[in-house]
Amino acid sequence: MSSPIALKRSKQGNHYYFWVGVFFFIVISVVLSLYFSALQIDYTWRWYRIPKYFAYQEQVEIKAEIDGEALSILKKGEVSVVQVKGLEGTESYTVPEGALEIEEGDTIFYGDVLATYKKWRVGILLEGLWLTLKVSIIAIVFGILIGLFTGLARISSNPALKWSAITYIEMIRGSPLLVQIFIWYFVLGTLINNILTKHGIGQIPPLWFGVAALAGFTGAYVAEMVRAGIQSIHRGQTEAARSLGMTYVKSMRYVILPQALRRILPPLSGQFISLIKDSSLLGIIAIRELTKATREVVTTSLQPFELWFVCALLYLVLTFSLSMLLQYLERRQLAV
Amino acid sequence: MIDVKNISKTFISHSTEVKALVNVTARIDPGEVVVVLGPSGSGKSTFIRCLNYLNVADEGSIIIDGIDILDPKTDINKVRAEVGMVFQSFNLFPHKTVLENVTIAPIVVRKKPKEEAIKKGMALLDKVGIQEKADVYPDQLSGGQQQRVAIARALAMEPKIMLFDEPTSALDPEMVGEVLDVMKNLAREGMTMVVVTHEMGFAREVADRVIFMDEGAVVEVGTPEHFFKNPTHERTKLFLSQIL
Repeated sequence: MSSPIALKRSKQGNHYYFWVGVFFFIVISVVLSLYFSALQIDYTWRWYRIPKYFAYQEQVEIKAEIDGEALSILKKGEVSVVQVKGLEGTESYTVPEGALEIEEGDTIFYGDVLATYKKWRVGILLEGLWLTLKVSIIAIVFGILIGLFTGLARISSNPALKWSAITYIEMIRGSPLLVQIFIWYFVLGTLINNILTKHGIGQIPPLWFGVAALAGFTGAYVAEMVRAGIQSIHRGQTEAARSLGMTYVKSMRYVILPQALRRILPPLSGQFISLIKDSSLLGIIAIRELTKATREVVTTSLQPFELWFVCALLYLVLTFSLSMLLQYLERRQLAV
Repeated sequence: MIDVKNISKTFISHSTEVKALVNVTARIDPGEVVVVLGPSGSGKSTFIRCLNYLNVADEGSIIIDGIDILDPKTDINKVRAEVGMVFQSFNLFPHKTVLENVTIAPIVVRKKPKEEAIKKGMALLDKVGIQEKADVYPDQLSGGQQQRVAIARALAMEPKIMLFDEPTSALDPEMVGEVLDVMKNLAREGMTMVVVTHEMGFAREVADRVIFMDEGAVVEVGTPEHFFKNPTHERTKLFLSQIL
């Protein structure tokens, strides 16, 4: 057992710290060269403008809708109720405490601002992030279901099931995801929505065609992992389960799949991380997920450098959290 | 209890045919312990696996407890529930604890209430002398312990017949005894057993009858005394001279 000792020693030597230094030198040089290159083209970094795309304060004005007189202002806890008496009747407005711009007895004209206050709003980047998360989670759930079913069909002895599964898997794996998204949206989407409209049922929004494309894409890969996982379980396990009188379904449910799923957790987590990143393609069918949201902000703000870095960082946050979660699941299963 | 008539089984691998069983006929009566002996490749494992349909005989008939298991209309899962099997490589479920291994089949197949299954399971683990390992996972057990759990798992279904397919062949020599002891106790209690083994001592001591197979066919059937002391066939004599 000399190798662990050798590894340990090289860590303590001066060489080790030298190469640690080299690492940080590389990181800092990349950042600095980026910064100075940006200076060369007179790019102005305005990081302080970024937070407002996550959340911002909106100015809200409450305006009078009739002419008249401010009859009374009643404080009710956190809010005040303003009653405006006009010729044709009385209107009342509820405004937050401290936002009032008028006093009792003031003459009010139509359109006058009675109160102004600020309200927090969710920014476009945060909305995009949320949509990316939502699309990914739904697609992962359906991807697992499709993959599980197709994986089982793939190893079935029934030719209808088996060949359908093979055809589906090969078609999905053999064509680009971008093309699949176009087919889902422009071909299947058009067909489905036209038929639905004909029968007087509402349209399906693009979001769901995007989810379908991602789930269908992921499902094919998950199916192959499920198949490999099941086939990696020793035949003796099935034999033992069946010899106890379990049906095929029960032996799968209680004996084979729990073991197979445990084994395919690492490749599955890689697949799901891919899915989160691939969801950035959905922007092309008018789904305003994170990448599309960033693109929109870039065109209005002219801050591409900061925004694209932020965008990449947000994806990193999503994928890293997912990989942490799956690693936790893996560890917990290994611990038992 | 088990009535096997003229079964044959041919495996086809890489377009070569291997005749595993040729016209095998055998009868096992209730409460009887039958040991199947024979050299490697003689078809004894295929024979015992045909008895609970893990291998499917190509022709002939197998009647177990009055049910023709080769009849396509037979629900094989019902038959298997009554026929316990113990494998050479244990095949315990590694993702379940020892107790869960023993209780899973009664719960999901027999629909037994969980508490009842656990009670019965603990009693069986006690019987095979491994109760203190109930909450341990199989990979923490020795081979002998695993095989005893496997026996308890099969017994939990309260089978009418127990099949043993070389139950001690994968064990370290010092662990063979503990497994054979469990099997001897089972035989004493009157369980109907079919045992494929290389343990001649077990055959001599416990078997009511010995079936000797070679090249897929039954060569000789008889009591242990007859088999070990006065074998009739040349092939049997040769086999005994090689192993004893």
